[in-house]
Amino acid sequence: MFPWNYGFHWGAASYIFLGAFYTVLAVVATTVIFAVFRSRRALAAHETEEIRWHSDFHDLPARDRVCRHVFTGEFKSRECPHAFDCRLCETHAKLIAAHPPQQSDETEEEIFGMSFPVDCLYHRGHAWARPEADGTVTVGLDELGSRLVGAPDAVDLPQPGAIVHANGTAFHIHKREADVRVLSPVDGEVVETGAPGRGWYLKVKPINGQMDMRHLLCGTEIKPWLMREMERLQLALSAEGAAPTLADGGVPVADIAQSYPEADWDAVCGEMFLEP
Amino acid sequence: MDKEFIARGVKRCSTPRFLLWIMPWLALLAFGAYSAGLCLVKGLNQTNMDNRFAFGLWIFLDLTVIALGAGAFFTGFLLYILKLKELSAVINSAVVIGLVCYSGAIAVLMVDVGQPLRAWFTFWYPNVHSMLTEVTFCISCYLTVLAIEYLPILLKNRKLRQVPSFLVFEYELHKLVYVLAGVGTFLSFFHQGSLGGLYGVLRGRPFAFREGFLVWPSTFFLFIVSAAAVGPSFILLTTWLVEKISRKRLARPEVLQLLGRISGLLLSVYVLAKTVDTLIWINRTSPDAGFPAAQYYAWKPFGTWILFAEIVLFGMIPALIMLTPRLRRRTGWLVSAAAMACLGVALNRFVLTVQTLALPTLAFDKFLSYWPSWQETGTFLAVVAYGVLVYSFSFRYLQLFPEERELKAEVQQEEEELPVMAGRY
Amino acid sequence: MTSEKKPGKTARYGMTIDVDRCNGCGACMVACAVENNVPPAHEGATDRKGITWIRVFQVDNGEDYPNRRSAFVPVLCQQCGKDAPCVSVCPQQAVEVDPATGIVGQMPERCLGCRYCMVACPYHARYFNWWDPAWPAGMEKTLNPDVAPRMRGVVEKCNFCHGRWHAAKQLAAANGRAIEAVDYVPACVEACPTRAIQFGDLNRPESAPAQAAKNGASFRLLETIGTEPKIYYRSKKNWVRQISSAPKLGLGKESSRG
Repeated sequence: MFPWNYGFHWGAASYIFLGAFYTVLAVVATTVIFAVFRSRRALAAHETEEIRWHSDFHDLPARDRVCRHVFTGEFKSRECPHAFDCRLCETHAKLIAAHPPQQSDETEEEIFGMSFPVDCLYHRGHAWARPEADGTVTVGLDELGSRLVGAPDAVDLPQPGAIVHANGTAFHIHKREADVRVLSPVDGEVVETGAPGRGWYLKVKPINGQMDMRHLLCGTEIKPWLMREMERLQLALSAEGAAPTLADGGVPVADIAQSYPEADWDAVCGEMFLEP
Repeated sequence: MDKEFIARGVKRCSTPRFLLWIMPWLALLAFGAYSAGLCLVKGLNQTNMDNRFAFGLWIFLDLTVIALGAGAFFTGFLLYILKLKELSAVINSAVVIGLVCYSGAIAVLMVDVGQPLRAWFTFWYPNVHSMLTEVTFCISCYLTVLAIEYLPILLKNRKLRQVPSFLVFEYELHKLVYVLAGVGTFLSFFHQGSLGGLYGVLRGRPFAFREGFLVWPSTFFLFIVSAAAVGPSFILLTTWLVEKISRKRLARPEVLQLLGRISGLLLSVYVLAKTVDTLIWINRTSPDAGFPAAQYYAWKPFGTWILFAEIVLFGMIPALIMLTPRLRRRTGWLVSAAAMACLGVALNRFVLTVQTLALPTLAFDKFLSYWPSWQETGTFLAVVAYGVLVYSFSFRYLQLFPEERELKAEVQQEEEELPVMAGRY
Repeated sequence: MTSEKKPGKTARYGMTIDVDRCNGCGACMVACAVENNVPPAHEGATDRKGITWIRVFQVDNGEDYPNRRSAFVPVLCQQCGKDAPCVSVCPQQAVEVDPATGIVGQMPERCLGCRYCMVACPYHARYFNWWDPAWPAGMEKTLNPDVAPRMRGVVEKCNFCHGRWHAAKQLAAANGRAIEAVDYVPACVEACPTRAIQFGDLNRPESAPAQAAKNGASFRLLETIGTEPKIYYRSKKNWVRQISSAPKLGLGKESSRG
């Protein structure tokens, strides 16, 4: 192994054999050390939430990773390359520049009996964000999200002063066997927390002034997106063995969980809140 | 009660049922550990090996198990280096199988050597000309690589990934898995080969001795090809078996067919190479050493049927089945062919280890027989039980088949549509 | 790995065994075991688990009475002179050829007990310690102080009585000269009542093995595999000389005496 060990012979065979061995050792060690180093850096830079979302996104089935411009028919099929962060997406910027988002004529979209006010912006993970006059942003669960968890058994809200990241965890909801995190639609500092009964959960203050919300769904996008979400819900329910009563356009009840006691609610919520 | 450890959206049996399943395996493991303990404490006199049959059941099984575990490196190679994306459906399972096979083989080797505490001598005073040195170095390096490859699968466990440092490390490590797959391929290539070389270099055993290329006898290359051929077959076989036992769809049939096709392709290359090698050996290598090849097959029960079984029955026939699209699409045929391919490679390893030692070399030798003792068998069964347990726990708590959830949804839909479709099938 | 130096400058210790003289008494086996501290066989030992650095095999011409003829063939490590199969296979250099003597040496202290060398050896001249060595009470007094007993789990074999060689070397050094093969004989050579076994340096033309090598009645075991053994057997009988070649089906049965 080393020249000073008994029986060591300098020779081609030794060079090749030990050379290959030490190279392998070096490559494997470097790989692990590099991964450890990068992990420590990511932890120090508080990138955990971002990484958690990227890891989740990677595990989503391909049909759940589609670009929002597929809903509006601009693409036939396209997988989002930015993990739903359209702020990084050049394609999105170009498309928005060409066709600015249409404001809906209504003040709220009515879908399957659920209301989606158009003054809110929607995140793909069923949270809405509404810019307030005082510069903060209110964050809550959209109507579909609320009905999925009904009256939640428990909600873990962050402390005021905590920082939330867009696509990072905003808060946790427990309902029956389900334990899901709800993705934050925006970046910022939590200034106030609400409660399930009040219809909103967080008030978030942007960290440096203006809040970029290009990545959120708005206006006429909402309806096609929701149509698709209802399809996903049906699929999730049927996968869990629940009778697909929504197929005929039935209206989801206020507490869907109660209607499907036999379904694995954790799986359904995981599917709908984009947590594989 | 262990629900929080089980991946979201997949169904696993209840904890008591799982305990019921692992109980017999635990018992077997305990029995095997006792057997191995006897061998370690009292010595190898507990085995039925002897001075003439110096290698026995264990070496045969090590060679077989490592060949079957080749699916880990070869699937990794196809997925990460050749970018056959479909295989991501089975890669995690392949890594676990590889880990089980390699760690099991090394554990048995540690019992098999007379002085296990001196194992480090091989690293400290390596004889770089010995095939066994190459095997030792490559296997221990590759086991390290497999353990590192297993780490992301383990850390992806639902509960473990709640820990931020685990989550982040898994993410960063998974990004570098290409490097590990590359290193694993390199290492596997060499030790599969040197395991073959182990016998091919034995000039004192003309039955096993083969000519070759540079320092490597032909068995070096035959072992690489046969392991690469049978690795995917074993992944196919285990996936099918796990599907049957767990009563779930885990991978799309197309993935299994692809594995079968790869296996069939390599198996036909192997069968061809093995045929050429056998002909050269019968007509040149063996007679040159003064051993007419016919006499090897005159000692019953090792007649020429063994050559036929190795090359045609468990080589050519499964290769042809797996290469025929029509047969490949029928699960029964595909799985049987994969099982036959695995059997064929096991038979090849058996011939090299057991037949080589059974045959006489001196004029006044006689044909020897050997039957493993219960301690040897027990130690081997411990490895089987250990493998089943590691795989069972991995299957229960880790995502071995990433497509399982999607397939579950599809199965549900199919079942709902079944009444309408029933007439068509 | 150590390779042998040019012949002439160094020694090539070898033996000649006259099969026609061997009467199968087994004295060589006993002398060998006593000299080299080979413990008595464990009670569980089988025919194939014992340690016999030299072992006398009985061979016959395969014919029936009255034409049946038997001979005894002592087989020990053949001290392969070229590419000894056991040397290159050892993963940790526990087998080495001494360039000064040509003796294929086994170092039990470094042996892992993997037994790969035993598989490699076509002469079955290597033995594994399946049990801890043990001597009946009192018998440990007969142990040879010049030879270290081996532990369980390692391989050992004939080394042309290394203890004797070492003593001879020291004696020669005390007399201010280098050791020569004629300075000592292994225990089996000494014990043989018919002087069937003779020992010497093959590089010295006058030595018994060198003479035997030139003898037309000489043969070595499995010469066709190219291991160049340094043990020369000798027999005037044609059928005995047949045992040098590969096994033929139906010829002979393995048996041993001693």
